[in-house]
Amino acid sequence: MSEEMKKPKKGPDIVDRIWNFFTSLKLVIVLLLVLSIVSVLGTVIEQNKLPQEYYSYLSPGTVELFGKLGFLDMYHSWWFTSCLALLALNIIACTMDRYPAIIRGMKKKNVVLDDKLAAELTADLTKIKYNLPAEEVEKQAIALAGKDFSVHPLVTEVENTRHLFFETGKYGRLSFLLTHLSILVIFAGAITGSLFGFKGYVNVYEGETISAISAGKNEVKTLNFSVRCNSFNVDFYPNGMPKDYRSDLSVIQDGKEVIRKTIRVNDPLTYQGITFYQSSYGGFPDITFDVMDKNGVLLGSAFTPFRQKTVVPGANLTIEVADYQEHFHLPDGSEGGPAIGLNIYTPAAPPEGIWITPGQPGVNHDGTYSFVVKGFNMKKYTGLQVAKDPGVWFVWLGSVMLVVGIMLAFFVSHKKLWIRIRSDERGKTELTAGGTANKNKHAFASELKRLAKRLQEVS
Amino acid sequence: MTNSLLFGISIFVYFFAMVLYVSYLAFRSEMLGKVCTGALLGGVIIETAAILLRWYESYQIGIGRAPLTNLYESLVFFALTIAVTYLIVERKFGIKTAGAFVTPFPFIIMAYASLNPNEIQPLVPALQSNWLISHVVTCFVGYAAFAVSFGVSFLYLFKVKAENRTAKTQGAFLAHLPASDLLDEVGYKTIAIGFPLLTIGIITGAFWANVAWGTYWSWDPKETWSLIVWLIYAAYLHARITRGWKGKKAAILSIVGFLATIFCYLGVNLLLSGLHSYGG
Repeated sequence: MSEEMKKPKKGPDIVDRIWNFFTSLKLVIVLLLVLSIVSVLGTVIEQNKLPQEYYSYLSPGTVELFGKLGFLDMYHSWWFTSCLALLALNIIACTMDRYPAIIRGMKKKNVVLDDKLAAELTADLTKIKYNLPAEEVEKQAIALAGKDFSVHPLVTEVENTRHLFFETGKYGRLSFLLTHLSILVIFAGAITGSLFGFKGYVNVYEGETISAISAGKNEVKTLNFSVRCNSFNVDFYPNGMPKDYRSDLSVIQDGKEVIRKTIRVNDPLTYQGITFYQSSYGGFPDITFDVMDKNGVLLGSAFTPFRQKTVVPGANLTIEVADYQEHFHLPDGSEGGPAIGLNIYTPAAPPEGIWITPGQPGVNHDGTYSFVVKGFNMKKYTGLQVAKDPGVWFVWLGSVMLVVGIMLAFFVSHKKLWIRIRSDERGKTELTAGGTANKNKHAFASELKRLAKRLQEVS
Repeated sequence: MTNSLLFGISIFVYFFAMVLYVSYLAFRSEMLGKVCTGALLGGVIIETAAILLRWYESYQIGIGRAPLTNLYESLVFFALTIAVTYLIVERKFGIKTAGAFVTPFPFIIMAYASLNPNEIQPLVPALQSNWLISHVVTCFVGYAAFAVSFGVSFLYLFKVKAENRTAKTQGAFLAHLPASDLLDEVGYKTIAIGFPLLTIGIITGAFWANVAWGTYWSWDPKETWSLIVWLIYAAYLHARITRGWKGKKAAILSIVGFLATIFCYLGVNLLLSGLHSYGG
């Protein structure tokens, strides 16, 4: 049956055309190149920034246009996703198209070197005559061919002729399926992650326990357990570079500590599929102020927790520590050391904000009050990246498939070798050998030539 | 530091090797060919010693880490991988004239490296990982294979132009270049080595990112550019294996692929912002 008769054109032409479109190599190459060009654009235009950051180098009209086109969150835009979907369809169609041929190629069909097969192999065919018994020739041929193939060929005897069939690298044919399916598996992992996983962030002060994290803009995710930060520490190298960030964390479930672990960068903590990564750190102070009037008479003292408006007893005012900076930049740009940003609210005047250096009294605008730092208690916090990604295992599975598939594709060729041995009436033995390979045919041809030479030397 | 002295010597040896390979184009004597290979091999040995010494010296000063973490160290490692990959390709395929197109890389890269700060710095927390060595080595050996493919493809374009002319006008110089078919083959074979390595490099990077930040892929410019490079070579391989794209078209794609590789390695850090450490 010829190829054309196998596939009668039953359906409408359009189905064939769609199929041809999705299985065409042109589509693959165009998609790969389009995806790469689009990705270039995504690295030139910074992605997912705040609108203010774009306004510094783009006009508002351009920002709006780019926003509508999806240029500012390109990798999640409908058209980028469509390209990926098209690639997935393309891979599925090509896999379906090639699958039968791959399986056919892996099946042992022609184990007998008959004339029809010999005609297909003529280029690599070797014929040698020996003055040796057939058994001896067969023994030596198997030993020689066994160096590159197995020493246990498939032997078939047809009409006093022995056919030896050698084969190696059969699974090299799976390279196509592995590489292409691996991309689909990775996609499946990415989709699973975005549907059933989340990414979030949380700051935990030392000694504090949290059970909710912020996941995305204005979204809060409640965990069904809580996490306590027992302590946070930073080590520095002698030259001032950071050496180690450590958070001692406890996971608490139903009031009981179930895990305690010190996490570092590159060494996170996982509980119930949710992982906590060391990401950043910081600290804010609770400060006790002595407040004096302009004559230096003590009006009162106030313990002022960070960012909490606190009434100063004995003085008609409210204060709030609004900011704290470890390295305050003076107006000329030089380093000013630590500084406290204090907001002052009095009934008489509008609110005002001043910067105070610990150790020096801070005076408000018209000199009515001065503030002296009496107590300073730094509250450190650790910044944790929180992630749950049930799809990640698909991604690793796909990665392994991809690497194995690529290795098979480049380095494993499916080679077949046939050796036919028969004795003629005069007691001579005739050997015929030939082979095929599905990859790197040049190398295989010279490999066969070397084998033929060695076979010729058999005596 | 003694390692800087050795690196300095290796720059001179690479320069010398480059000059020899270029003169080999003009005077193709077997003797000169051997000297070329010997000089490049000498450069490789001295540079390897320098890298090992730098590694050892990092322990001496109490830091103790593989010398693969900043721009300087990545450049010198890149130069070494190109020289080694080229030597292997030369030995396997016997195309010594291609050396004139590949050996400028180790020299130029080493010279550029010497302009960068080279003191041994300790590792910041993000780089303290077992994934560092496998990630960097696979990526850079992959890049080196692409660099050799680039040099050979360049030579191919010269050669094929010459072959199209008649023998008389071809000139002795181009006539003695390796056959275009062989160059085409080597251009492909080196990509066949580089592509799996780049793939493993991207995957180890993704795995590491997931351990450090909880995200295996965040479309950071470096990641995106490595994907772009991967896509270009994937297109090359599809075109070549399935459609039989050979010769000129393949050579041009190989050149484009390597230019993208260089941008991924240096351009991203110099022009864009991102997560990698040698921005500098």
